Amino acid sequence: MIKTERILHLKSCRGRKVRVVREHYVRERVPCFSALCQADCDNDGKVLPGDLTHYVVPDVGVVVDYLEILEFRELQGIVFTQTACQAVQHSKGRRQYNRLRNLLKDPRHDCVLFANEFQEYSYCPREKGESQEKWQTRCVYSAAVWYHNHLAGMMDIVMITEDQDAVAQFSSLSSGVYVVSVQDYLSNFWMELHAAHELYNSISQALEEKESEGTEKEYTEHLPSEILEAGIKSGRYIQGVLNVNKHRAQQEALITTQASSNKNTDLSRDVLVYGGKNRNRAVHGDVVVVELLPKSEWRGKVTSLTERQGDEKTGEDEKSKPMPTGYVVGILQRNWRDYVVTFPPREATQSQSRNSQRILAIPWDPRIPKIRISTQQADALQDHRVVVRIDSWESTSLYPNGHSVRVLGRAGELETEIQTILIENFIHVPPFSEAQLKEMPVNSPEKPWKVHPSQVASRRDLRGTHLVFSIDPRGCEDVDDTLSVRTLDGGKLLELGVHIADVTHFVPEGSLTDLEARSRATTYYLADRRYDMLPAVLSADLCSLLGGVDRYAMSVLWELDAHTLEVTKVWYGRTLIRSSYQLHYELAQALLNREDTEVPELAPLSPEEKDAKLAELTQALEMLTHVARHLRAQRDRGGALELEGVEVRAQLDAEKNITALVPRQPLEVHETVAECMIYANHWVARKIQKTFPHQALLRHHPPPRQEFFSQLVDSAKARGFTINTSSNKALADSLDRAVDPEDPLVNRMLRMMATQAMSQALYFSTGAQSQEQYYHYGLALDHYTHFTSPIRRYADMIVHRLLTAAVDLDKGLSPAVALATNKELEETTQHINNKNRAAQRAQKLSIELFQCLYFKERDPQTDPSCVADAAIYAIRDNGVLVFVPQYGVKGPVYLKNRDGEVVTVGQDGRCEWKTGSVKRYSEHISTTCSSGTSTFTLFDHITVRISVQPSRCHADSLNLEIISNKPHKSAESQQPHSQGRSQLVQEVVRQAEEASQQAQERASRGPRLSKEEREFCQSKTPNLYSLLEEIRELALMDVGAAANVCASKTEIIVRF
Amino acid sequence: MAGLELLSDQGYRLDGRKATELRKVQARMGVFAQADGSAYLEQGNTKALAVVYGPHEMRGSRSRTLHDRAVINCQYSMATFSTAERKRRPHGDRKSTEMSLHLKQTFEAAVMTQLYPRSQIDIYVKILQSDGGNYSVCVNAATLAVIDAGIPMRDYVCACTVGFVDETPLADLCYAEESGGVSSLALALLPRGGQIALLQMDARLHQDHLETLIDAAMTACKGVSKVLDEVVRQHLQEVSVLTRE
Repeated sequence: MIKTERILHLKSCRGRKVRVVREHYVRERVPCFSALCQADCDNDGKVLPGDLTHYVVPDVGVVVDYLEILEFRELQGIVFTQTACQAVQHSKGRRQYNRLRNLLKDPRHDCVLFANEFQEYSYCPREKGESQEKWQTRCVYSAAVWYHNHLAGMMDIVMITEDQDAVAQFSSLSSGVYVVSVQDYLSNFWMELHAAHELYNSISQALEEKESEGTEKEYTEHLPSEILEAGIKSGRYIQGVLNVNKHRAQQEALITTQASSNKNTDLSRDVLVYGGKNRNRAVHGDVVVVELLPKSEWRGKVTSLTERQGDEKTGEDEKSKPMPTGYVVGILQRNWRDYVVTFPPREATQSQSRNSQRILAIPWDPRIPKIRISTQQADALQDHRVVVRIDSWESTSLYPNGHSVRVLGRAGELETEIQTILIENFIHVPPFSEAQLKEMPVNSPEKPWKVHPSQVASRRDLRGTHLVFSIDPRGCEDVDDTLSVRTLDGGKLLELGVHIADVTHFVPEGSLTDLEARSRATTYYLADRRYDMLPAVLSADLCSLLGGVDRYAMSVLWELDAHTLEVTKVWYGRTLIRSSYQLHYELAQALLNREDTEVPELAPLSPEEKDAKLAELTQALEMLTHVARHLRAQRDRGGALELEGVEVRAQLDAEKNITALVPRQPLEVHETVAECMIYANHWVARKIQKTFPHQALLRHHPPPRQEFFSQLVDSAKARGFTINTSSNKALADSLDRAVDPEDPLVNRMLRMMATQAMSQALYFSTGAQSQEQYYHYGLALDHYTHFTSPIRRYADMIVHRLLTAAVDLDKGLSPAVALATNKELEETTQHINNKNRAAQRAQKLSIELFQCLYFKERDPQTDPSCVADAAIYAIRDNGVLVFVPQYGVKGPVYLKNRDGEVVTVGQDGRCEWKTGSVKRYSEHISTTCSSGTSTFTLFDHITVRISVQPSRCHADSLNLEIISNKPHKSAESQQPHSQGRSQLVQEVVRQAEEASQQAQERASRGPRLSKEEREFCQSKTPNLYSLLEEIRELALMDVGAAANVCASKTEIIVRF
Repeated sequence: MAGLELLSDQGYRLDGRKATELRKVQARMGVFAQADGSAYLEQGNTKALAVVYGPHEMRGSRSRTLHDRAVINCQYSMATFSTAERKRRPHGDRKSTEMSLHLKQTFEAAVMTQLYPRSQIDIYVKILQSDGGNYSVCVNAATLAVIDAGIPMRDYVCACTVGFVDETPLADLCYAEESGGVSSLALALLPRGGQIALLQMDARLHQDHLETLIDAAMTACKGVSKVLDEVVRQHLQEVSVLTRE
């Protein structure tokens, strides 16, 4: 250890100026992370390749302001200096710094960090009177010179800076180190990288604007963070996440306080922030600090329905009872992301700004304020959707400043809208890169993939001994689970086996594919397409447990007592299997029912052989069903998972609009497969939790908060049902009883409300939670995880790795790679949870998009398909919320419009608008006018007309208008096969194709779309278990789609 | 809130050290002629002066006299100019009293007090500049002073603080690290036998990590002992050269 000491860092702390002396140790050997290194530096981790033309050393100012440009993967050989990183940390905050750190960690980016201030020869102490910026630039330059010398002049170094003095001062000093400005650098080296040039212009313009800003204050200044922290500790301020109300984005925002302060009972309620001044520059999602206003100024939330354009209404709205109200005094953490915006129409632009370059762009998400950006392309980009980032929001400015990043396309086009949905949900799914695909094994007709002999030796071979088969939806290509069952020991024992595709064998931890899968976290299903988590060669071929071929699997085998069905032994491990039959549900059910059917795999055999094989298969299926029934009963007794199970079954029963996805009548075999999967998940969870008590990934479902059930209980009371919400079993039982024989929809809507009250099932690391919190409320299991779908969920891959490590430990081997620590795992689970949420939102939005596109093509006045039956499920001050079962649409129906007219019902049930008043009661709402009074009660059926409300800047929305208070009779008879959602999707896709084919300049799009369709329609749902999950999500999303007044509740989507 | 990054991704600490590296230790023995023993020790920017009087007969109240061994009396104080902001009360506050007590316990374990029954040994330590690890610097300085006074000890007493950040133990914390919310542990070791003279920790730490933390502290203490040993040998050489002449 060679150490020299150089002291002296002057530092003035807050408050009084204090002189602090800090030690600073420098050393001779600091790793350079270059492949060209001559001095045997200790380079582990990422290394810059030696075959580049030059390395880039960005100056501090460049890293701080133009980091986005450096994020382009095309730019290679970037050396970040420690000086620059520290400057980012200090001036830009944690978020930006983490971004830089992730960039450095990401092996896909060709950049390294050089600790220049700890290197003896590249460190230069700050001189007296030297400004911070000058010193930093000098440091970076001396680092660049060091690099040049260290690599013995074999690599040219380019230092890029925005400081013109530095260019003049340093450029002539030494050969081999070039100092240029960013613009020169981009135009000399990256001519063809237009995106970078545009981004550079956009950022530099934004920076210029920032400097030339006025000084008049629009908002009060934020308090410094020390005061905020002290205030939070003393209880004077409250910390929370700002949640803007989607429907009254201008006025209302809620602060959801964090769990830590929830112990304090009087503070556990959310805080309302009313109006833009009080919100004080906070943007949706920021972590803010609020101070409460005096009680006399508290106000309530507005409970009446507002149309999007009706935001300017004030005053006369009815309010709920006052709740804590406050104003924002400071922001702890900005959570800005990329926003999709649309430029306003031309005439608006000119009147809005003094300077024609500055434009107030309107974000797609109504919760985000308008963003001021500077651009010369405003005219060219009319009606386009553009991605922007917010740079800053000064107290002198009414709106935040931002810069544009890239153009998505024309608003209203399918591709643009889908991209918008992806970006708004922070989903980034580029095609798999070549480097990633290179890691994949090859399986082509010329070079077929074969089982490796060493694997045969190390795996348990089940090919000869076990009858393995898969049951999936018809036409499924990616099979990730198979089953087996057999008797042992002369019928005394049963052996049940679940075999899951061994994805982790092909995707080693830390490989590029693994990193990509981790960042995606799940496969994204949109209404018309799918973005896979893993490349197709794995998901549809090598990992898919197809019939008749050898495949690697991870298996769980239970030995059960044949009579009591008690588990006597469990075996976990890697296996080699060959699936004998690839069944689909209908076929399996038919076999169970002993119907005469043809199994394709047995077709070429002789009749005797066929009968024998068929008998064997049927027997296995029967055994399986028997076991599954027992398992289910066991779980029902033990806790009560009924809630979730019934949920699915009931949804299937009544859910007509997704009949295209599943058979209307659920087959028992569906449940059998699902039960086996739940059982496998459960046992794997037990195993990994036992072996790794502090670092296993499990999934839990916390019990819901009782107050969320109030809507459900009240609504049920209107129909005379009582709902007991004390436990999961009680809830399930009372929901079972709440059936109206005349209207199956009532039970379904009650179930939707119950689901809405649920909290969300989440992944977690066992070290981060206490044992009693492991419980899964929905499934009534004390341990649960996800193990059975590694092809489309990253969590399952982690669990597979954990299980492998656990099995190795049992054998006495130490795991090859160190497992993630509790902290790392907890971070990963947070990431996966967030991505799952994003995936659900994106799916919901894409479905809404397709609904809108579908109705856009139809004239609401003439087309009979635009008129539908709807049921009322909630009452509001000036209207009702309805559910349209035919299309699965939910939305508000207004009984009072802005001119003060109300809906009245005529003789034949027709509705008209007349002047009058609306009165709301707990279970019904009535309108009064000169011709009489009409009443609408909960669960009433009415007829609505559906039309599209176009919106320039936001997503289009559906508008529901009441035409009659009678149920819409003709709907059923006219359309015996009601419009399924997938049909709807296909229809819209077809229309989009036609439209694009007509457009000459986009002739190429037609075939592309259809190709995508062919590709993505292969099997949207890989197996039943996932299918059930998806149906539930769809159903739940409907709930979420409702015009929900409570902003905090809209996010609650249950996913087991 | 922003929280300094105590250990960077590349494994550097704020001042450029790696996790296991100590600060630079420099020491001199025999800095005062009037006292029986004295030493000055710098560990990074923490500087301490230790002075030893005795063994001599009991002063003050005679009732404290022990008949089988010597009484060790310690006083810890900080100079008013030792911190960035001027300190009001150089000694006698609770922190100093506690520190005095800790020092006393440490040296009672190390000094062979049974050789001097009914007598008293006074150890006075003053922090001249404080930059973290005050306790350990005091112990190290006092060890040298005791050796300078010629009082027999079982072994050197070496002390070091360690902190725990990102699952990694950091040796010899500086002030910025100590105040940055690290759970730190101070350990005084008799390195040859590996006996622990004092172990002190005020922060919360998971039980699983304690073992690694103590191991790191012991390694660090052994590092310190090497330096101290060198200082003592150097000093003896200088002194013996002087006496020969």
